Amino acid sequence: MTPRIITASLVVRLRSFYRERSAMFFTFAFPVILVLVFGMIFTTPEHLNADLHVQDKSRSDSSAKLLEGLTTNQTFKITQIPVDVDATQFAKDQHLKLVLVIPENFAALQKQRFTEAGRGISVPLTYIYDPSSTSVNTKIQALEMLVAAANQKMTGTPPFVTLVAASILSERYRFIEFFVPGIIAMAIMTSCLSNALNMNAELRQKGILRKLATTPITRADWLVTSIVYQLVLSVISTAAILVVSYAVFDVRLHIGAWLPLIVLIEVIAFVGIGMLLTPLAKEAESASAVANAFLFPMMFLSGTFFPVDMMPDFLQSFARLLPLYYVNEALRAAMIFVDDAATLRYAGVAAGFAAIVFTAGMFKTRWYEGA
Amino acid sequence: MPDTEHAIVVDQLCKRYGDLRAVDNISFTVKAGEMFAFLGPNGAGKSTTAEIIETIRGPTSGHVSVLGMDVTKRKAEIVRRIGVLPQGFSSFDRITVRESLQFYARVFGCRTDIDALMDLTNLRGKADAPFNTLSGGLKQRVGIAAALVNDPEVVFLDEPTTGLDPHARRQVWEVLKGLKSRGKTIFLTTHYMEEAELLADTVAIISRGRIVAIDTPARLTEQHGDYLRLTLESIDKTALAVIRKMGFNPKPMNDESISVPLENVDDVRRILDEVQKAGLAPGSVDVRKANLEEVFIKLTDEIPQDDIAENPQ
Repeated sequence: MTPRIITASLVVRLRSFYRERSAMFFTFAFPVILVLVFGMIFTTPEHLNADLHVQDKSRSDSSAKLLEGLTTNQTFKITQIPVDVDATQFAKDQHLKLVLVIPENFAALQKQRFTEAGRGISVPLTYIYDPSSTSVNTKIQALEMLVAAANQKMTGTPPFVTLVAASILSERYRFIEFFVPGIIAMAIMTSCLSNALNMNAELRQKGILRKLATTPITRADWLVTSIVYQLVLSVISTAAILVVSYAVFDVRLHIGAWLPLIVLIEVIAFVGIGMLLTPLAKEAESASAVANAFLFPMMFLSGTFFPVDMMPDFLQSFARLLPLYYVNEALRAAMIFVDDAATLRYAGVAAGFAAIVFTAGMFKTRWYEGA
Repeated sequence: MPDTEHAIVVDQLCKRYGDLRAVDNISFTVKAGEMFAFLGPNGAGKSTTAEIIETIRGPTSGHVSVLGMDVTKRKAEIVRRIGVLPQGFSSFDRITVRESLQFYARVFGCRTDIDALMDLTNLRGKADAPFNTLSGGLKQRVGIAAALVNDPEVVFLDEPTTGLDPHARRQVWEVLKGLKSRGKTIFLTTHYMEEAELLADTVAIISRGRIVAIDTPARLTEQHGDYLRLTLESIDKTALAVIRKMGFNPKPMNDESISVPLENVDDVRRILDEVQKAGLAPGSVDVRKANLEEVFIKLTDEIPQDDIAENPQ
């Protein structure tokens, strides 16, 4: 193994990569776009769309107080609709998912309630909603909770039973925090496998390997070059994903020494798998087909886009055979849950896997003879 | 005992792929400083032999030494002192000519004068062109330049002009002549006779894994070819008897023509006179000096065809 040869090979591979736009796009831009798109889809209902349309027929101090209660803690953003329209028809026409109607006699009924005779009186607040909307249920639940709290307050005594939330996590995490480590792992896997397969097929098909075989470059030089090359690409793509995630979604992830270590393990594992799959992809054309046949099941079954425990049991058992599953779990344990013991466990399994496939790949790959 | 006279010594070399004997017990030597052409039809075993000498394939049996070193034992040392243009040379698509040559020079750890190398191979004007934008002839010249980055003592050129148009082929020949004048030992494999005849000091003809002849181009044509060959086309077969009576050895060819090997130019006139006296007239007459192509076809009994695959495996 000669550093001079590894450096020269690395320069050639990075130049080739830099000059091929489509490779640049799929390695760097594609994962970032995935983060942006999925991040927007899943983050919006929780944070941005808290609109509540209200038809305040009462227009009294009491109704104003009620609305004030609904807006505390930014639970809802109130938009008033005209009082002289039919609320149901208006909701239909304007495509509103939820409209709260405060009756005209709201203030009067409330006043009556505080008299001896009016003890059993309740005030009906109607909400008009679109049951086909997926986000409306969350809003209705929030509304019910706020109304219950308001009722409790009006009795003048503190509630007897209260719920105190205690999460197993130090901080609450959102879908995007779950998603980012998955995309980091996916981007590295895709880049390692498709680059390894395409490069090898190209080298073989075009006879470059035959030329390299007549130079002092050794198989070990070439393998180390592949790993360093993939590591450089992985570091850049991981950094790009993280920068965008922090800038756009303000994610809260723990970035420490585990991250580069897990990235290294993943690179070795998938460069190794690439070497093992190379004999199946002799030509450049079949290389991407072989890569995809391997990449897609891995991507969907290893918990990249959704947690593995959402899947049926038999698929969960299958997921536990996939190396990407352990990488995903290790990254999440390190970056979200900050659980060193779990990280070590998952990263350890991934490292063991990497060692096995890489060793097998080294024995299986032939440099030139009989290629 | 170090052998400084011979750059390459091949002794009873065999290479088998299953039942196929790709190389069948061949022996030859290449003198230091000569251009040695290995001539044979596709699939005859040329490239397999070359790749064994280049150390990238192992022999089944026999011994091969390059610059006095055994190819199976001192591969690393041999590789540093030889330069190889493999068959169908290719390089990295998006890497320029200059960058490719720099890469190979760094791999060999040589401080090569890349500009001088590009001048030698006539590539200066294309220094910054990516490899995939080059024509076939330019690609081959990049390959030849890449084979020279380590200033090798022995240069292997495996079919350097296959697939090139006549113009590009001539340009490659000019580069090869330049190399020869610098005193490099050159091992050339080719299936073009004129290439071997024009460039080589020694020609070995290989057919079906065996060497059928080895000598200088001139002596090969002298020994195996006839000095002159007279061909009488579209002539009645009765002319055969007339010519035979004169003491020559005419052969009827399958296309109504007769071929006569001759020793002397004067014989041409004598035969034509006799044939005319017999009232016979050939459609046309062809007199040709024997060349390597005739020798090749005679010895290999095969016609080179581009569509037969090399390196059967």
